[in-house]
Amino acid sequence: MAIKLDYVARETFHNLKRNFLMTSAAVLTVAVSLALVGGALLLKRGVDKATLQWRGGVELSIFMKPDSSATESDAVERELRAMPEVKRIKYVSQQAAHREFQEMFKNSPDFQESLTVDQMPPSYRVVPQQAEQVELIGERFKARAGVEEVVYAKDQIKALLKFTRILQLMLWAVALVLLLAASMLILNTIRMAIFARRREVAVMKLVGATNWFIRIPFMFEGLFQGIAGAAAAFGVVWILRNFAQHAVRNVELFRQFAVSTTDVASTGVFLVFVGAMVGAVGSAFAVTRFLDV
Amino acid sequence: MIRLENVTKAYKGNVVALRDVSADIQKGEFVFLVGASGSGKSTFIRLLLKEERPNSGRIWVAGKEIAHLSNWKVPYLRRNIGCVFQDFKLLPNKTVYENVAFALEVIGRPKHVVESQVPQILDLVGLAKKHDNLPNELSGGEQQRVSIARAFVNRPLILLADEPTGNLDPSTSEGIMRLLDRINRTGTTVVMATHDRSVVDAMRRRVIELDRGTLVRDQVRGVYGAYT
Repeated sequence: MAIKLDYVARETFHNLKRNFLMTSAAVLTVAVSLALVGGALLLKRGVDKATLQWRGGVELSIFMKPDSSATESDAVERELRAMPEVKRIKYVSQQAAHREFQEMFKNSPDFQESLTVDQMPPSYRVVPQQAEQVELIGERFKARAGVEEVVYAKDQIKALLKFTRILQLMLWAVALVLLLAASMLILNTIRMAIFARRREVAVMKLVGATNWFIRIPFMFEGLFQGIAGAAAAFGVVWILRNFAQHAVRNVELFRQFAVSTTDVASTGVFLVFVGAMVGAVGSAFAVTRFLDV
Repeated sequence: MIRLENVTKAYKGNVVALRDVSADIQKGEFVFLVGASGSGKSTFIRLLLKEERPNSGRIWVAGKEIAHLSNWKVPYLRRNIGCVFQDFKLLPNKTVYENVAFALEVIGRPKHVVESQVPQILDLVGLAKKHDNLPNELSGGEQQRVSIARAFVNRPLILLADEPTGNLDPSTSEGIMRLLDRINRTGTTVVMATHDRSVVDAMRRRVIELDRGTLVRDQVRGVYGAYT
């Protein structure tokens, strides 16, 4: 069975034009719903980015005893450097520690003088590859010779990890629910549009049109509406993102949420894909209801 | 061309539309299907199009037993049958020309065939000057002519007409009947369901009468109300 391309193109174009109101309704529905989905997805990307940076800032300090020997601290340093979990380390000498101490308490000179350079503990500041590894690294060095104390913000890290995990899950859920709602809304709009044309479908059947012959122009219409709506949604998301990013460009906290153009583009591709699929497949299903022999 | 053998059709709730109906219609015949509203005329026609299935009995259309026809072949059955209805069933947003061309495009006829056949058939039904009008710009009689043109444009073996004059005044009906007669003379089998007494009496063709689903009369050169 040959379906002529020029027939499909002409039929699709004419129907889009003749059913302008329904077409606009469908395109608008797709645009609004997918813009919400896109917004949620981008927000999630932003949280991902920010989380990555927060977690990158997590570190632990290994304080050596002030009287620890050079061999002892060399052993600790060598072991730290050999560990794959460790991203980088920084040695803070007694002098540097003393300077920090002086700086910290420069408003209370009495206190400043209470400690000499010799009494300051030298330390290693360790940044792990992943925030979760802080505890693992810390436990290992607690009982080493020459180690005075291992310090890390255990509870804060746990709270941060938990919070970001929940936030990410929630945003996923929101995006998913919005996607489902968008699909239903789009399907319903298409169904209404086709219901308005059931007479036309009945006539096509009467003159001997095969089901696919009837279905294909409807599918192309749905495809067009889906892509047009998704493109509009993409535009809205794009503009809002630029606007938001511009507005918060000087606020340190929010800058961490900045999503790259690649992120926005890939979200856009996803939106267009969803729009096209829901449009075409939705139309095919919607018209099938009126095709029963 | 059309054969029904002991066909019974009941709808839900035990409403019997046709009861044990048998009939045999030859190629080239012109048959009136008469009876009061609800006597089963429309069901008769819907069965031939395979829009409904009989509960029992067998039906042949154009040489094929249609119960054996798989669903995807139904469109091909319908290409052998032209249909005309009381309410015309034209597509309101297509022009006269497009409505008729549609029937050819749907069955995949090439462009040059469409372009030569459609003006020819519109000429035959007397609407050569109304190509670009929309259906709502035409009178009832003209709309029915368009629907006949659409039904006949691919030269079907059978033309089914369900109350084609039901919405038209007597003189317009006469024109429609002349057109159907002309189509019948080309060899097309015409089955027309009607309760328009004057039309049946004027034509003097075969009459099959249904009464509450039962075939009560099959007369070769009949009138509308011979025994009623």
